[in-house]
Amino acid sequence: MSEPVQRRKLVAGPLSKGDKWFFRSTSIAAHFAFVLVALVLVFLLVRAWPVLQSQGLGFITGNTWSPDQKPIVLQLGPMLWGSILIAFVGILIATPMAVSMAYLIVFMLPKRLAKAFTTLVDLLAALPSVVIGLWGLLVFTPLAASWAEVLNKYLGWIPIFGVSNAENGFMSSPFIAGWIVAVMIVPIITSVTREIFSQLDKDLINGALALGGSRLSTFRKVILPTSSGGVVGGVLLGLGRAVGETVAIFYVLNLTMDINWAQLLEPHGGAVASWILARFGEASGTEKQGLMAAGLVLFVITLIINYLANFIVNRAQPWRKN
Amino acid sequence: MTNLITSSSLRAENVSVWFGERQVLKDVNLVFPANQVTALIGPSGCGKSTFLRTLNRMHELIPGAGLAGAVYLDEQDIYSEAMDAVSVRIKVGMVFQKPNPFPTMSIKENILSGLKLSGRKIKDADQLVETSLRRASIWNEVKDRLSDQAISLSGGQQQRLCIARSLAMDPEVLLMDEPCSALDPGSTRRIEETISELAESMSIVIVTHNMQQAQRVSDQTAFFLAEEGMPGGVVEFGSTEQVFNGPIDQRTNDYVNGHFG
Amino acid sequence: MAKALANQPWRKANVARRLQIFVASLIPLPLVVLITITAHLNPILSFAGLFLPLQLIAASVVGYLAYGRRGVGDAVLVVLTFFFSAFVLILLLSVLSSVVIQGSRAISWQFISQNNVYVSPTTSLDYGGVGHAVVGTLLVVLLTTIAAVPLGLAMAIYLTQSQSKTRNLVRTFTQALSGLPSVVSGLFILSIIEATHIGRSGFTGALALFPLMLPTVARVAEEALKLVPVDLRYAALALGAPNYRAFFQVILPAAKSGLLTALLLGLARVVGETAPLILTMNPSSSTSLNPFNGGMTTLPTYIYNYLASSYETSQARAWGAALVLLILVGFLFGLARVLGKNKSIKSKASK
Repeated sequence: MSEPVQRRKLVAGPLSKGDKWFFRSTSIAAHFAFVLVALVLVFLLVRAWPVLQSQGLGFITGNTWSPDQKPIVLQLGPMLWGSILIAFVGILIATPMAVSMAYLIVFMLPKRLAKAFTTLVDLLAALPSVVIGLWGLLVFTPLAASWAEVLNKYLGWIPIFGVSNAENGFMSSPFIAGWIVAVMIVPIITSVTREIFSQLDKDLINGALALGGSRLSTFRKVILPTSSGGVVGGVLLGLGRAVGETVAIFYVLNLTMDINWAQLLEPHGGAVASWILARFGEASGTEKQGLMAAGLVLFVITLIINYLANFIVNRAQPWRKN
Repeated sequence: MTNLITSSSLRAENVSVWFGERQVLKDVNLVFPANQVTALIGPSGCGKSTFLRTLNRMHELIPGAGLAGAVYLDEQDIYSEAMDAVSVRIKVGMVFQKPNPFPTMSIKENILSGLKLSGRKIKDADQLVETSLRRASIWNEVKDRLSDQAISLSGGQQQRLCIARSLAMDPEVLLMDEPCSALDPGSTRRIEETISELAESMSIVIVTHNMQQAQRVSDQTAFFLAEEGMPGGVVEFGSTEQVFNGPIDQRTNDYVNGHFG
Repeated sequence: MAKALANQPWRKANVARRLQIFVASLIPLPLVVLITITAHLNPILSFAGLFLPLQLIAASVVGYLAYGRRGVGDAVLVVLTFFFSAFVLILLLSVLSSVVIQGSRAISWQFISQNNVYVSPTTSLDYGGVGHAVVGTLLVVLLTTIAAVPLGLAMAIYLTQSQSKTRNLVRTFTQALSGLPSVVSGLFILSIIEATHIGRSGFTGALALFPLMLPTVARVAEEALKLVPVDLRYAALALGAPNYRAFFQVILPAAKSGLLTALLLGLARVVGETAPLILTMNPSSSTSLNPFNGGMTTLPTYIYNYLASSYETSQARAWGAALVLLILVGFLFGLARVLGKNKSIKSKASK
């Protein structure tokens, strides 16, 4: 009686003309995301290829950028390292602030205040980077320089807080750039962390508190283990933004090809994106191709960081999958 | 299994259903004669709601869904290539578990939405609205507020509005997926009365968890069951009288007498 | 609510505990202020080096006295949370207040309406303004919006309405696009400009903003469409609606406010972009209404240009333009908030 039945192919059709049009056009639009990413990569690669070929691996590792030399030498090393250094400093500063903010919003504030704080953090995210740069240059830099001076005075014996010459002033350093980046990525990390925190079982947490756990132990033993993945993802999303930040860093950092390994208070450093902006005006011919190559490298780095970030965030929030 | 076949308007033949690689229904054979109310009963997860959705091709909206067998509406296979889902759904209406009136539309617009959505001309809108609402026995409650938002109604009224919305399409078959599970007893009673009246002009298939409801409203009953780790299927199918009072299968007996599930 | 509180007595206890600790943490404040002023200490130094440790100690003591050992852990967490969060707010307020205070010095009706012809970095603030940049910003952003919003909406439709297997791939690439650094977007359009020899104009600037706006619109629109209960879609389809009618007549109206939010957040994303525009547009000091030919200045590029020179009047102009930009962003943002509030179709429908 029960011979294996043929499974039928379920086709949602035949579709009406309108539906065919509806699905086909939205499908084309959706795949445009793919086309756009590919176009960016292809166009930049084509323009950057001669430079990448002539400079070889030195483009990434070397530290000379002299478009007037013959043969021309274009090497991005200090800028690449600077981007990483600044992003790292930014994350070190931003993460405790963002996690605290998220904790405050989700677990401590009454509902109405929590909403107001959420709005404020989102407002911070909406501030244009040129405005942050303006503030960073004219308001924050003098202030942060005084912090840096204090740091150097008392902690100068630690190499990262040492400077070659305290007379140089403490402006235009990776330390300040790191702070500026932190201001811009705090909202990103906060909103991801907040989302993760708010999905935790609140009764479980309050129960842990009621059973005699302190807030600190509850945070360490209940909240953090279950949400750390998501927080790391949020930090990585912030990292992606930090690496690509252009205008604000351009104003507050003294860009030099003299590599600054980790002397945070030394008044010079590097950042790929800002370097592109700084050199663009006078660049011509080969140097412009070099800047395209720099953009390509930057894009590839952010692609990798963002992919990792989204992978981790999505895994930490299984309920987000449809 | 049965010899109830008369002037059937809907007939499922060897229907099997998969979600991805998992088979959830196996070889279901049921006949839904015209002007009869059929109740589908069984414990949760036995596939009765899934089966209901195969009857108007709502099933295919679920990603990864698969199907074998055939469903005949007036001797025409609704899954054949000649049929399209839209025309099937116009003939086979559906009422869902939770009331789902369109929140952006008024009561009147909700009633007319089916015609608009399926792109048909509306002749004598007012008459159609009144008839549909009357047939769902909600006319008296809403006749003075037809342009109010539909979501301003109570839950039971919303569900009857959803029934009226389906009736406006003049379906041949009406599928109801636990239509009263979210409602209070008063609303439930009124909907049950409505079902009996509607059966005069269409066939009705209703999924229910409520044994008393099945006995009150249905002419025939199918008992679905899924054994541990196995696809679900029909254990017993017959007149409601027979299934509840003289079940042949021991499992049916256990279920209708509340021994499990 | 009251019942919930009765069932969960720890909630009340928590509020009380939190409040006590918070108050305790403020005890050292007057002391620290006094020391800072009398000893002429660096305020930041005394804030981080003196106030924070004292706060921790004071709160811990109170916590210990009131609740024993667990009170100490509580105190540490509460103090640190407030401390770091306060820092975020201070930074935000610092940015906002400097822009408002400095900007309001420059701003006047003439500053908003006039353009910048005949203005040099040292020209007094009584002449010239950002009128041309406001017009430029609106035109460039409008052009971007015309392309990005329909496309972003179509992407969101595809991601929510179709059952295609490539949806996750599309989602991945949309996320990849949202990580595109703005300067790279500028370089991309620049390479197109150089390959095709089209002239730089407001249009090329709009092109450079497009890849930045698109993923924002797509993502927020997808969220908005997801908020519409799937029941409504099924109800429409069960009535015999083709998918496109179900979308346009049922889902779209239900998601309207969420979709407007997508538009506004997309606008807010690009209205302040600078780097891509510097790479792809020539500045202009006169008002131009033609985005397809000639130079054009936007508010962000105006700020960028004036900040480059260190004259006080230039900086004042930059602040003024920043205030105008901030008002624009704040307006969009506020509108998005207000509209976002009636996203409650979901809860209403399933009551």
